[in-house]
Amino acid sequence: MHIDVKKEIKRSNIGRAGLSLLLLVVVIAVLAPLLSSYDPVQQSAGSLLSPSGSHWLGTNHVGQDIWSQLIYGARTSLLVGFSVGIISLLLGILFGVSAALVGGLYDKIVMRIVDALIVIPMVIVVILVAAYIKPDLPVLILLLSVLSWQGGARVIRAQTLSLKESGHVNVSRTFGASRLYVAWRHIIPDLGPILLVEFIYGVRRAVFIEAGLAFLGIGDPMLISWGMMMRDAMSFSYLNVWQWWLVPAGVALSLTIIGLTFVSHAAESVLDPRLRGAEVA
Amino acid sequence: MLNKRNLITYGIAFLIIIALNFLMPRMMPGDPLMAIYGDEALVAMTPEFKAQLVEGFALDKPLWQQFGAYVLALFQGDMGYSYYYNASVFNVIMGSLPWTLLVVGSSLVLSTLIGIVLGIESGWRRGSRTDRTMLAGLMSLNGFPDFFLGLVLLIVFGILLGVAPLSGALTPYSGLSGLTLLLDVLRHMALPVAALTLAHLAGGYLLTRNTMITVLKAPFMLTARAKGLSQKALKYRHAGRNSMLPVLTVTGIWLGRVVTGALFVELVFAYPGVGYLTYQALLTRDYPLIQGVFLIVTIAVLIANFAVDLLYPKLDPRVSYAH
Amino acid sequence: MLEISDLHVSYGQDMVLNGLDLRLSDGESLAVIGESGTGKTTLGLSIMRLTEGKVQGSIRFDEHELLNLSEGEMQAIRWNRVAMVFQNVNNVLNPVHSILEQVAEPMIEHRLRRRGEARTRAGELLEKFGLPRERFSAYPHQLSGGEQQRVLLAMALANDPDLLILDEPLSSLDVTTKEELGDLLRMTDGRHARLVISHDLDTASRLADKLAVLYGGKIVEIGATREILQRPRHPYTRALIRAYPNMTTVKDLQGIKGRMTRPVSGCPFHPRCTQAIDMCSEIIPQLNWSQGRGIACHRGGIATLLSVVNLSKSFGSLKAVDSVNLSIESGETLALVGQSGSGKTTLAKTVIGLYPEFDGIVYLESEEVTSRGKAFYKRVQMIFQNPGESLSHRLSVLESVMEPLEIQSVGNKEQRRGKAIQTIGEVELPQTEDFLDTYPHHLSGGELQRVAIARALVLDPDLLIADEPTSFLDASIGAKILKLLLNLQEHRGLSMLYITHDIAAARKISDRIAVMLDGRIIEEGPSNMIVTAPEQPYTKHLLRSASSLALSGDGALSDSS
Repeated sequence: MHIDVKKEIKRSNIGRAGLSLLLLVVVIAVLAPLLSSYDPVQQSAGSLLSPSGSHWLGTNHVGQDIWSQLIYGARTSLLVGFSVGIISLLLGILFGVSAALVGGLYDKIVMRIVDALIVIPMVIVVILVAAYIKPDLPVLILLLSVLSWQGGARVIRAQTLSLKESGHVNVSRTFGASRLYVAWRHIIPDLGPILLVEFIYGVRRAVFIEAGLAFLGIGDPMLISWGMMMRDAMSFSYLNVWQWWLVPAGVALSLTIIGLTFVSHAAESVLDPRLRGAEVA
Repeated sequence: MLNKRNLITYGIAFLIIIALNFLMPRMMPGDPLMAIYGDEALVAMTPEFKAQLVEGFALDKPLWQQFGAYVLALFQGDMGYSYYYNASVFNVIMGSLPWTLLVVGSSLVLSTLIGIVLGIESGWRRGSRTDRTMLAGLMSLNGFPDFFLGLVLLIVFGILLGVAPLSGALTPYSGLSGLTLLLDVLRHMALPVAALTLAHLAGGYLLTRNTMITVLKAPFMLTARAKGLSQKALKYRHAGRNSMLPVLTVTGIWLGRVVTGALFVELVFAYPGVGYLTYQALLTRDYPLIQGVFLIVTIAVLIANFAVDLLYPKLDPRVSYAH
Repeated sequence: MLEISDLHVSYGQDMVLNGLDLRLSDGESLAVIGESGTGKTTLGLSIMRLTEGKVQGSIRFDEHELLNLSEGEMQAIRWNRVAMVFQNVNNVLNPVHSILEQVAEPMIEHRLRRRGEARTRAGELLEKFGLPRERFSAYPHQLSGGEQQRVLLAMALANDPDLLILDEPLSSLDVTTKEELGDLLRMTDGRHARLVISHDLDTASRLADKLAVLYGGKIVEIGATREILQRPRHPYTRALIRAYPNMTTVKDLQGIKGRMTRPVSGCPFHPRCTQAIDMCSEIIPQLNWSQGRGIACHRGGIATLLSVVNLSKSFGSLKAVDSVNLSIESGETLALVGQSGSGKTTLAKTVIGLYPEFDGIVYLESEEVTSRGKAFYKRVQMIFQNPGESLSHRLSVLESVMEPLEIQSVGNKEQRRGKAIQTIGEVELPQTEDFLDTYPHHLSGGELQRVAIARALVLDPDLLIADEPTSFLDASIGAKILKLLLNLQEHRGLSMLYITHDIAAARKISDRIAVMLDGRIIEEGPSNMIVTAPEQPYTKHLLRSASSLALSGDGALSDSS
């Protein structure tokens, strides 16, 4: 059955809204240097200044331009989000497909471990690790990836199992194809729609978590992150600075996540035919 | 469902947790005692005490023996000592745990219940304006991280409107008791619980709504309509009862998410639960405490999952224990 | 109590019920029979106002016009006054409620009883339908199909409705359960009116005193069940009964020609009808009542094709045929059974016109036959005992079959050839050039008889007279010819007068049997009646000495014919 996920996403209202939001964030991230006049890390003026012509959102407690931080924060979120998303997906494919195709004891062992890892809350593990190792960006990305591929692996395995029995896969085996060939040429491409959905989930989760960790103070202090901005802003809530410091960061983060949520909802509807039909949203 | 498969899973999870907890400090370069206690605490110790600790932790013995000593200590309830709080880790955590349980428990129950009800109503009216609005609305709500929601609530209700307290679980030094104490507790937990509930509402809602859409097409719904039952009965007793089952299955997993959320929300509201404790511990590098929290929280989540597995067959008669 | 008038129900472009009329009185039982897709379930759902289609017309239930009621008013009627037992599919009962709860629920919801009483009464109902106390707290998935059906029945009676609608209540049940549940339902006769919807004639005969046959969204025949099953008056009903395997009919199963389609105009059955006339494709027939039977047919039901009144033929002093009265209906096979010398062949030849002098009248479709001209032969044809003799040695297969066409000047040579070849194909003979050029002496007995049949059919007659067509053939070949004749009847809507001495063969091929002895018809009636309950001693004698394979004392097979 041929499903064009991308087309379907574009067709639904929610999907389109989500894509627009995402696109906006991506554009902002990419064009960051053009959109801000200051280096977000450098102190560019006095502390806690109100918004003005030169500092659109004012400055923070160290004198950094908030608007620039907001813009560059997009880069961090997207970078971490997409990196973790991709690595998680790859790991998920690796373990999910292999477990389904190899079967037997290997499958059982892998799935037990996967299930065990799913039950353990990821953030808490990261907190534990971060207490000992102060993670910089690459380590953070690696850590998050290692802890978030399990959900996808389960779904991918299930789908692979059903694909395994499908006609064209079996036929290629009668030509003497090796399992690796079958996986590469037949199964993974057919997994397309599911992989896309899992990827989006992964990105969403990663953006969420990176912001949360930054909020807690775990993470690379050199990295401009919306979570970190919110953390800093929080201490100054009693002063009337939250309007242009806390809120924009929070809203930016939320809109990014909402965009991802909408897109993944639209993609989900595609995969689950029961949800289609009268699904006008 | 509880069966052999799940038990093995929980077993493996338990092992992983303990192993992680054990290995983390010992993987660090340098003096393991410093890794276990942090340099600040170490400074305050006398050499004799340190020697005692080394022996207690079997730090001079091979790794597997250390693991044995560690596990043994655990089962005796000994999780180490927090220098910062000057009390055993176990006690410190137990002091904060009830608050977290209160907040997490309430949020979980509220978000699940409200989510299910909204999901039923939405699914019942699928495609209508109400449904589409709720769908878009809740998905948007879902996009707000719980700490941001908490902050917004804090600012609006706490700072701007001044109706809610800004921190803590109780008004300090108030000496309240009975009903007024209860009200005080409720006032303080209102915002944190609200933040957590709102943040996690969408999960239950979406799952219930999707299940509802399928259930409404089932033959027994036609049978129920033919019986001349009221809309309410059809929606809840017949469709709803079937639609809420998937949500209950994943409640265990969601508990992990809500607990994680609680960590952040407690920080925002300076609510003295385990989350706030963790944050403090991170700041002061109180490693034993961090480890203790990790252990207790993750194991609590495991137990909760276990409990849900036990309860589920009671709600879905189609499921029976596998032998 | 229930009066449905001019009910039209459509789903989009599809008009499923097309002007349906039905009446049911208090306590009566009526079965609506139809094949799948005829809209019978829609009928049930429409009465309950549960269908998603567009409904027009009138459904009066006592003083209420159901189609005008609001949803709230309808809710009060549902289950309390009209209850429905749905088809027993998976998940027709809610999987998360126990069966006791589900049976008690309508009583509680409609405030007829309080919880405790409702549960007690529910228990009584369940027990009445054969479910013991221990099963009360069981869930639907723990029940077998038969048990689920019992729950559905018990549940339907919970609020003591005036009308019970049952959709396929006994299908997929084993025979013992069918009997048991059928009897249990029968015991409620008079208390509730019963509308049974089914494709199964057996269910209908068990559960309902009246029967209505549904085709193309309309009722085509309605009357007492027993009477309809014994003597259907509508061509569709007759075909339905013929196609239905049961212990009482003896004729081999036949399908109905064509497939069910929804014709644009006229009688819904006319494309498949064996006796359609022009009017049938233009105007929709309405239900006409006579003698307690309602039939929707422009021809008043199954028409009589041929009848002979007081027919007598003598050869000198020998009265071969003595005052015979017989009629053959459209699409029917009448078997004329008798020994040699009984006059059966004479009768046949008289009817076909080979004996021009006789007494009595022959009617073809109510019109007296005064001369046997081409018109007559276009409609009545005959095949004879000895095909070798009846076919000319000098004509090839094709020429023989084309002969009638040439005599009647049908079309041009091309068309005649085409028609002949087509008919040759119909009798399952090869249509190759080689075969078409073959001469009779190269053909086997079976092939010869097929050629004769093709020749007889090439004019598309309405009536085929077959005079002992298999007596010159081997048993296995003869069996095939019989099958062929049945198939042809199905495809062409042919009527047949089948003449034979073999009552066993007659039984398999005929709807009615007439027994002839010494020139008179001594007994006549539906085949199954004649064969199972003969009245005349001669008939009994014929049956006793009919071919049957019986084991003799030492276990060897013997043919005691």
